[in-house]
Amino acid sequence: MGEYKTRVGIEVHCELKTNSKMFVDSINNYGGMANVNINEIDFALPGTLPCVNEYGIMLGLKAALALNCTINKKVVFDRKNYFYPDLPKGYQITQARNPIGVNGYVEIEVEGKKKKIGIHDIHIEEDTCKSTHADTKSYLDFNRNGVPLIEIVSEPDMENEKEAMAYLEKLKEILLYTNVSDCKMEEGSMRCDVNVSVSKTETLGTRTETKNIGSISSVGRAILVESNRQIQELEQGNTIQEETRRFDEKQNRTILMRVKETGNDYRYFPEPDIPPYILEDTFIDEVKEKIEVLPDERREIYRQAGIQSINIEKLIANKEISDYLRNFSGNLVIASNLLLGEISAYLNKTGKKIGDTFLSKEKFALLVDKLDRKEINNQIFKEILIELMETDHDINKIVENKKSASFTEEELKVLVARIVSSNPQSVEDYKAGKDRAIKYLMGQIMKETKGSSDPTLVNRLLQEELARK
Amino acid sequence: MDKLTKEEVLHVAHLARIKVEDSEIEKYQIELKQLLDDVDQIKDIVVESQELLVTPVEHETILRNDSDTREVEFNMIKKNVPATNGNFVEVPVMVNE
Repeated sequence: MGEYKTRVGIEVHCELKTNSKMFVDSINNYGGMANVNINEIDFALPGTLPCVNEYGIMLGLKAALALNCTINKKVVFDRKNYFYPDLPKGYQITQARNPIGVNGYVEIEVEGKKKKIGIHDIHIEEDTCKSTHADTKSYLDFNRNGVPLIEIVSEPDMENEKEAMAYLEKLKEILLYTNVSDCKMEEGSMRCDVNVSVSKTETLGTRTETKNIGSISSVGRAILVESNRQIQELEQGNTIQEETRRFDEKQNRTILMRVKETGNDYRYFPEPDIPPYILEDTFIDEVKEKIEVLPDERREIYRQAGIQSINIEKLIANKEISDYLRNFSGNLVIASNLLLGEISAYLNKTGKKIGDTFLSKEKFALLVDKLDRKEINNQIFKEILIELMETDHDINKIVENKKSASFTEEELKVLVARIVSSNPQSVEDYKAGKDRAIKYLMGQIMKETKGSSDPTLVNRLLQEELARK
Repeated sequence: MDKLTKEEVLHVAHLARIKVEDSEIEKYQIELKQLLDDVDQIKDIVVESQELLVTPVEHETILRNDSDTREVEFNMIKKNVPATNGNFVEVPVMVNE
């Protein structure tokens, strides 16, 4: 008896970051009052026709390129027919036969092992309206109706929940870094349907689809409980039905949903209201040019610069900071430490973005350079931070002013000798091996210098002075 | 006479969300079959090009600028929907989620 192998394929729906909807010219906006971002086309009133959003096409293309897909240059749409109140036209406009991108991949890394997860296709489509259900009535808000989506369909290449979660994290990163979507799962701008099957052989087992899971960690849990459920069913001699399920977070199990139409029942046919559109090579090249340096490439740059892996991940998780570091030519280790440390703390405290402050990239480069050449130390940097962030004062002048108030090494030596000789008890304690004594002496010196001295230097001078005693 | 099965008629009725009385089923078994046969004639057309025909019109679609927007008041839409509740459109509960 072999072991069961789990296979996972994921369909991800992402809302595109456009100003207006995909085939309707009303505004694409999340939140706010119901049924305000609407017009006649949303409601399919007689005589209305779809009109394709150029920027939506561009974003779909950009995503397909970033996910290494082959591009179908002839953009055509299809109708997916079903009769439901969330869809006044009676069909959803999608790309069933000729998706904009096919045969792509995403590279993931789980426990040090790299693996390519195939992307079967990416297609552009429109969202349906948002429905809220009460006992006997449902309430519809058409603000979401027609919002541009891309659906990214993976191959069933993932073998466990860790790979699935790594795939989703990577996908999210790429879509964020390309500005295709804001990927907020909590607001529904990124939604996941997970296909799970188990089998003891290389042939795929019957799969179930678990819909609309609310977070990446929930996707992991849903895969685990669903594959266990399937194994149990098979072990009890039952068969797995191809069905749609939902994940109940509280009960930590998947629950059967009613079965909707599938396959032929959707009666797909080409959307006759939208003639084909041909993507010119020059346009595809332009979009390729617009793709920013993607996370993995940035990771490599950071790694080669000698940044610790924990800080690399912090930088990648903060696109604003990572973008700020683009084309930075100084010491990246110092730069990333400053940005992730004191500067992030300042930004969090003040609720500002780095672009809102006076810390221009040029000023920042000078600052890092001064620290790198030890013209200033961390202590001084901490003290001038607010002035750097909140004024347009010249950094050289800020530093000069600060330094004139601080001690030279010679002055420090004198000060250290004075403090040591006026604290004989501490010197004895130090000789008796009490660590607290040196800390006390350090504290006295820092107090005298009002914190403007380099603690490493003070520590060295203090050790030297004590050795002489 | 050639006709659809009772189940096929009920399946089509379900897709269209139409209630069909038992007494009507036989009529639709015949009528729907005739309709399908008519449509099936399309299959007899010899098509030389393998290219998918989306529309007989030979121009490219015209793309819209993302920033061009136009909205209408919900009041105007209200006249065309069966029921509303506040700013929502109200329909019988959709259990088939």
